[in-house]
Amino acid sequence: MQRRHLPLLLLPSAVLYGAAFVVPIGMFFVVSFWKMQGFSMKPAFTFANYERATQSYAPALGYTLVIATVVALLCVVIALAAGWLMRFKARRWESLLLGLVLVTMFGGYLMKIYAWKTILGNEGVLNSALLGVGLIDEALTFLLYSRGAVVVTMTYFLLPFAILPIYADLRAVADVQLEAAQDLAASRWRAFLTVVLPQCGYGVTSAFALCLLFALGDYITPVLVGGGSMNLYSQLIAPTFGTLFNWPLGAAMAFTLIAASAVVIFLFNRLFSWATRP
Amino acid sequence: MTERAATGEATTARATRRGGPQRIAWILFGTLFVGFLISPILLVVVFSFSDRPITNFPIEALSLVWWRQMLGSIDFAAALQRSLQISGTVAVIGTIIGTMTAAGLMRLRERWTRTILVLGMTPVAMPPLILAVALLVSFVRSGLGLGMTAVIIAHLLITIPLVTLIVYGRLKAIDPILVECARDLGASPFRAGLTVTAPLAAPAVVGAALMIFAISIDEFVLTSFTLGGGNTLPTLVWGMMRTGAMPVVNAIGTVMIALSMGMVLLGVLIARMSLVQHGGAR
Repeated sequence: MQRRHLPLLLLPSAVLYGAAFVVPIGMFFVVSFWKMQGFSMKPAFTFANYERATQSYAPALGYTLVIATVVALLCVVIALAAGWLMRFKARRWESLLLGLVLVTMFGGYLMKIYAWKTILGNEGVLNSALLGVGLIDEALTFLLYSRGAVVVTMTYFLLPFAILPIYADLRAVADVQLEAAQDLAASRWRAFLTVVLPQCGYGVTSAFALCLLFALGDYITPVLVGGGSMNLYSQLIAPTFGTLFNWPLGAAMAFTLIAASAVVIFLFNRLFSWATRP
Repeated sequence: MTERAATGEATTARATRRGGPQRIAWILFGTLFVGFLISPILLVVVFSFSDRPITNFPIEALSLVWWRQMLGSIDFAAALQRSLQISGTVAVIGTIIGTMTAAGLMRLRERWTRTILVLGMTPVAMPPLILAVALLVSFVRSGLGLGMTAVIIAHLLITIPLVTLIVYGRLKAIDPILVECARDLGASPFRAGLTVTAPLAAPAVVGAALMIFAISIDEFVLTSFTLGGGNTLPTLVWGMMRTGAMPVVNAIGTVMIALSMGMVLLGVLIARMSLVQHGGAR
């Protein structure tokens, strides 16, 4: 093991990581206990911000957790099916599908949300198509600015992030294991549940966690396709920095969100282990 | 009896595996899946060439009116320039620091490497909003202030771990015997690195650079909180989306999609090509 230049090589990233991540997050945590006096922050040690973050905004927090959990579960289920398709069914299309997933992972986070707005709008693609075919007589107004629109849009841009870790795990499943299961007369579904799924624990949990965290923090989708009909927690955090300038409250809300998501991810992980127990 | 039933079941399972409704169902799912992935992106591109301000079908005539409007706009030129400056800087600095880190990790014990790689991913896995507001607070309070430097630092934080991960994975895959051979033949450690390791790792480094350029040019949340004044492409587009239906958004969006997806596609192709070329090196 050669150790030459080791400190020199790791120094730049260590400095950046410390100064621009560890310190800011630490400072942010400290600020969450401060209080506001008029329009300026005062150092203090109060739990008032956390009380407000969990109590006044409790309905928004609960609602946001439900929406994000639904999105993360949808992503995991679709990703499992898509991963299965790529790994076991697609054959020569496998690498093409993988390339497609990789490329669509990038390219316009905002534009992806905007695209769904044009699809679901009153004069949008879906309505005009349905009207054109004659399936409906007047535009369906419930498509856009609804819970469903938020869920579909988030699922759309998070799906590639769920597919990659799950597909990586599926790649490690040997064909021979699946064949053995089928030779032992396990049905396809049973083979999936008892042989394949337990080996995908890492991929499924990371896919769920990643999708949940992004869905929880996304304040753009609810604004663009959710309309004013609902208030997600992330939508309440953003203005405490932008317009209200109540940074301590915003910080407390941010850490509340992180803590809540940690609980959901832990529960999911337990549930998954229980469901795939031998 | 049960044994017979079991064998019977296995045979049916085999039979359906070859084709029939199962296969059709998978083809259907695959088609829907591909359609779901690409059609929204395709729509943005198609509507940027529509002659009407309303984005629906049928498109009566193709036109470049939105493209002309985009190219004629001063806001667009300024935002494009700022975006390219930020993302270019991020791609260069991020790739250098990330590659250095990967080289450093190669000199550490595997246990430490894993821990560092996982910890390094925290900023990437965090909800962008929370990282953004934390950075906003500390940039303002530390006196650094907001602006392009702040944006570049924020972008480096989420891109360097990715470069490190990709380049480290590649370095790990290079057979150490190759370097030993060069050393046995009298090459200095520096020369061995330059003539053996560097060419083998180069495709991964270039691929990583293209990928983080794509991430940076598309990044919105961190940018909008740390930029302060002015616009990058995503913040410009966001402003237009908020103020209502502006069909020119489709044209700018197409530019953004082309920039970021093009870079990633190029990166994937380079990585694939090198894999074929150096297949024996693994």
